[in-house]
Amino acid sequence: MELLVDIVSGIFILIGCVFMVGGAVGLIRMPDFYTRLHAASVTDTGGILFIMIGLILQALFIFDNPMAAVKLFLVIIFIFFTAPTASHAVAKAALMANIIPQCQDGKSVVDKSLASIYHDKKLSPTDAKQQVKTVEGDDRV
Amino acid sequence: MFEDIAAIEHFVVMILLTVLIVLTLGIIYLKDLLAAVILSGLYSLVSAAIFVAMDAVDVAFTEAAVGAGISTIILLGALSFTKREQKPQKHNNLPALIIVCMTGALLIYGTLDMPSYGDGKSPANSNPQLAQHYLQKSPDETGVPNVVTSVLASYRGYDTLGETAVVFTAAIGVLSLLGLRRRRRQEDPNLTPRQRRRQQSEDT
Amino acid sequence: MYLALVIAVLVALVLVLTRALLGPTIYDRMLSVNSAGTKVVILIAAYGFLTGRPDFVDISLLYALINYITTIAVLKFFEYGDLGSGAYQEDDI
Repeated sequence: MELLVDIVSGIFILIGCVFMVGGAVGLIRMPDFYTRLHAASVTDTGGILFIMIGLILQALFIFDNPMAAVKLFLVIIFIFFTAPTASHAVAKAALMANIIPQCQDGKSVVDKSLASIYHDKKLSPTDAKQQVKTVEGDDRV
Repeated sequence: MFEDIAAIEHFVVMILLTVLIVLTLGIIYLKDLLAAVILSGLYSLVSAAIFVAMDAVDVAFTEAAVGAGISTIILLGALSFTKREQKPQKHNNLPALIIVCMTGALLIYGTLDMPSYGDGKSPANSNPQLAQHYLQKSPDETGVPNVVTSVLASYRGYDTLGETAVVFTAAIGVLSLLGLRRRRRQEDPNLTPRQRRRQQSEDT
Repeated sequence: MYLALVIAVLVALVLVLTRALLGPTIYDRMLSVNSAGTKVVILIAAYGFLTGRPDFVDISLLYALINYITTIAVLKFFEYGDLGSGAYQEDDI
């Protein structure tokens, strides 16, 4: 039984390690910001999922410590909510700062800056903030 | 078994300390202040991991909450009043370098008197009466039945008070800076009556 | 097994920190700080198992929370220029 748990959790942890180190190498090797973002964010979430599943198996069956297993499960849930949110926020902030996604030959994907397209559809945060200031005065600053 | 774990701990701590040195050099050489602030948050995170590896869990908690959380946010708040680039320095600051090196040498000299890390023969560990004293006398001396609580809240009361104040200030600072404010809702003329009723019931 | 995991996490951490030091734009640095936070979460959890005392796992939970708050605060600073502006939500306008 213990051998079986060790083998299964070892496989899970190995998969997670491959994800994690692969993502880190991608973060170094990828050419521009958005590809790096892709490499880092997806592998982070996947890697932590597999590693934590392996550790949960170990905590339940080898260490006989269900409390640690529950905490690890909470870590999984929490990372699953926050890591994509953080990646999305980073990507949106970069888009707002006029960092344009590029093709392999160095050309831009779009001829118009994506941020300006975004601004056309919707108010940018800076404009929105200025509007708020002009409407309401200084009492909320 | 114990030897193995001690060796592994040394290995992990040494790697993390090397990472800290590289990060510090990076912070010094960066001219972009915002990047320096971000890297200093990373520095706190890694040093908190070192504290965990050395079994100082409470210090790691405080370091993570204060160093990585509140000090990054406070520095960002300060940066919003100034420029993002560091000014080029014209005068040389050799005296400052000398003073910093002397202070560092003095601090290292001060640590030479301390017992080495994990030493079983240090005075606190080798004196059998010390632990016995706290285990037996603490209910009489402090009136607290739990030994751990009596050490935390009575013998080191001021220390704990300071730590709690620091963490509390960190939480308050984060809350006030991140602006948790109750949103005001405006009446939208396009809403159906049912949606409007639902909004009102949510507000009250 | 745990030793291999810890070494893999350390390797990944060093790679990510390299990107944080190199990073041409500030967003690269921010991305790698976020990623390094995740690595530290895994490192603390794995280290507890390595030393045979998986009781300190809640610290990694706390780190996950703090890492998220820091990332969001810094990104708010990028977008709005200062930190207080988040109080203006779109409903307010």
